[in-house]
Amino acid sequence: MRWPVLARRDRVLRGGQPLAFGVGLVVALVVGVFLLVGSGHDPLRVYARMFDASLGDPRAWSVTLNRAVPLGLAGLAVAVAGSMGLWNIGAEGQIMAGAIGAAWVARIGGGWPGPVLVTAMLAAAVVGGGLLALGPAIARARIGVNEIITTLMLNEVAIRLVQWLIHGRWKDPGSHNFPLAPMLPDNGRLPTLFERAHVGVVLAGIVIALFGLAVSRTAWGYELRVAGSSGATARYAGISLKRKILTVLVLSGGVAGFAGGVELSGNADRITEGLSNGFGFAGIIVAALALMRPSGVAAVALLFGAVQIGGQSIQTMGVSSSVSTILQALILFGAIAAGVLGRYRIQMVAGETVETPSAGAES
Amino acid sequence: MIQPPDDAPAATAPAVELSGIWKRFPGVVANAGAHLSVRAGTVHAVLGENGAGKSTLMNVLSGVYRPDEGEVRIDGVVHHFRSPSDALAAGVGMVHQEFRLVPSFTVAENVVLGAAEPIVRRQAVESAVADLAERFGLATEPDRPVWQLSMGERQRVEILKALWRDARILILDEPTAVLTPGEADELGRILRHMADDDRTVVFISHKLHEVTGFCDEATVLRGGETVAASLPVSETDSSALAGLMVGSAPVISQRPPPVVAGGPKLEVVGLGCLDDRGLQALHGVDLTVHAGEIVGIAGVAGNGQRELAQAIAGLRPTTGGTVHMDGMDLTAATPRQRFGAGLGYIPEDRMGVGLAPRLSVTDNAILRTYSTHRRGPFLDHEAAVAHCRDLVERFAVRTGPLDQPIAGLSGGNLQRLLVGRELSGRPRVVVAAQPTRGLDVQGVKAIQDLLVAERGAGVAILLISEDLDELLTLTDRLLVMHGGRVVAEFDPELAGRHEIGEAMVGHRPAGAASA
Repeated sequence: MRWPVLARRDRVLRGGQPLAFGVGLVVALVVGVFLLVGSGHDPLRVYARMFDASLGDPRAWSVTLNRAVPLGLAGLAVAVAGSMGLWNIGAEGQIMAGAIGAAWVARIGGGWPGPVLVTAMLAAAVVGGGLLALGPAIARARIGVNEIITTLMLNEVAIRLVQWLIHGRWKDPGSHNFPLAPMLPDNGRLPTLFERAHVGVVLAGIVIALFGLAVSRTAWGYELRVAGSSGATARYAGISLKRKILTVLVLSGGVAGFAGGVELSGNADRITEGLSNGFGFAGIIVAALALMRPSGVAAVALLFGAVQIGGQSIQTMGVSSSVSTILQALILFGAIAAGVLGRYRIQMVAGETVETPSAGAES
Repeated sequence: MIQPPDDAPAATAPAVELSGIWKRFPGVVANAGAHLSVRAGTVHAVLGENGAGKSTLMNVLSGVYRPDEGEVRIDGVVHHFRSPSDALAAGVGMVHQEFRLVPSFTVAENVVLGAAEPIVRRQAVESAVADLAERFGLATEPDRPVWQLSMGERQRVEILKALWRDARILILDEPTAVLTPGEADELGRILRHMADDDRTVVFISHKLHEVTGFCDEATVLRGGETVAASLPVSETDSSALAGLMVGSAPVISQRPPPVVAGGPKLEVVGLGCLDDRGLQALHGVDLTVHAGEIVGIAGVAGNGQRELAQAIAGLRPTTGGTVHMDGMDLTAATPRQRFGAGLGYIPEDRMGVGLAPRLSVTDNAILRTYSTHRRGPFLDHEAAVAHCRDLVERFAVRTGPLDQPIAGLSGGNLQRLLVGRELSGRPRVVVAAQPTRGLDVQGVKAIQDLLVAERGAGVAILLISEDLDELLTLTDRLLVMHGGRVVAEFDPELAGRHEIGEAMVGHRPAGAASA
């Protein structure tokens, strides 16, 4: 009896991730055919619509790019922490905290010139996100409290904080008692780049590029990667782990907060409890697909954004939202599964037991 | 081998018989025709240094590995275990070094986990576990959650798990490594008790006083082979066993020509530190290494050698004493300051301390010096690659592309890169902990030659090794550690193995200078 098992490749397949995404897409589209035919739709028309709505023309591109911005920045936040082996599961809450910071500045700075106000809003967003991550960062660095738990739990706190604000002191007097914050002032909005795309696209691109460069090329990033590979090796090399953990987690929160500020200023009319819309959690997937490399986050976010926008667009054709969500999930599953093949190969072995260290010793 | 026709176990068959066991891993032969024979109802010690093949042999016996060649007989019957559960079905249970317990479950729940009927009646199980524990003298409280227990108590739970599954042959893999001395004595009583109950115990250790304390027979492995089989413990002593463990194999390297030692370079006075469990590992160690001198540290593993190296390198906080280099007080210096002051450190754990496994060859080559390969905030990539290429050429590291993760290199090449990196910083003192462990013959020779060349260049070298041949060949002075102290000093050219072995097990030899 011969069984297929996964055996680790000697080296990671070059170009494995883009290839994986392609393979995952094809597999998902093939499986999706059954799904769509089963639910009474013409798969070709649905797929054409998905493509047109996400990447078909400049307008579609602008919508996709806008979506890729929070996904990419959230993915970056996760990846920056992930390069050091830390898990920031709190990007969702940090996005909200960033939005709170930006919205607060917008409330007091209604009369400021646009560039000043927007800059101040984004800076406040970074501070807000960083502040929310500060507690978990200190707890992890000082006494080793698992940051996965603390960052995750603070998500709920940040969302409740937004609810408390928009039900209370930030409630718009002109909202007829609906729990709504007032609209952002016009000078608090990010300028338009083209079609629907806002300048946040460029800002996000710059931030991602800077972090990509910092992690892969600077001494600071090198220390990060050593610490992510092995804490004991980092100590041996004279790297202070405590300080590193603190700065990296706070920076990670700051990046997520920045995503909240950009989303508020570029895409939303006002701060709402649904502003983050799961971007923080999607960022974990983005970072994982980018193999925790900040430099890979932008491309993954763009594809992820296209899949989301395309998936949403087909709902207007009568495809139910659940089918569209399943399609999106299939594409991601395919990509993740195919990504495994970049690192492992399929090998046929005899018998039922699998021994890890010895490959040639069987039979 | 010819089977008895009816496959029936002979009345006198040993409980365990392993013969001609070969097990190869890529680049390593872990077992080279090892054999082991254990009589039923005895406590049998399997002795050997790290890398001697003990754990592999036990993994073969417990069904974790399948041997490439060789035969496993339990009570005279040939078995081909395909998994640990096969072995357990034949009565072989293993107590692993790392415990496999669910911390939030109670003792009783852990014991029956995976072996109970679908519906667990809590009280019935607890009293059954209590009965079993009582029978073997394993003091435990079945209703306590495991997270509240000490290491010794957790180990008793592991033993109970095996007994609950009706293991008649128990393998304990270095069971006393995690125990306090009192707990280790208690374990010895328990094991004797089990042997008296006609169970068979295979006890892996390298602590000789435990072997002579409560084992009946001992088998010694060295280099994957059995060098002494089923020695009755009553007819031997710990020094003879130590001699068998460390061997008298022909020397690999030539004894280096004498160098006139210079002034003191490394001076350690009254150094104390704790081990990972928070117990005192070093009790005031004094030693001095002069320029152009290799000072060796011998000792049975776990007597403070590891902690000594880490404390000198600045990786373990000290509880007292001082470390001076060239008269400069480094006691409070960071690891980086020590490296900058000229201290090279070859750690015992290559991967995970000395090297970062997920990073590239280049990134690992600059681990100690990256802060000097800089242009502003950026690392000077060209300088880093040049440095790496230089190391690879000078120290003959066989490697693939330099930007690939280092994990693909073989053990010998990893160590060449690590040693080369430490030596390229032009150190004045080198602390080398087990620098040749696990390497093949050429790898051992290459590393030893590098150390000897450094000695010739006037570097002071502290060499910690479990390989007595290496120490006797390379060192100018040989210190022996026991129980966290330096207990003896020898001139390696005059010292006899017997005296060194005595010192290693804590018998102070007459006439040897105590430090």
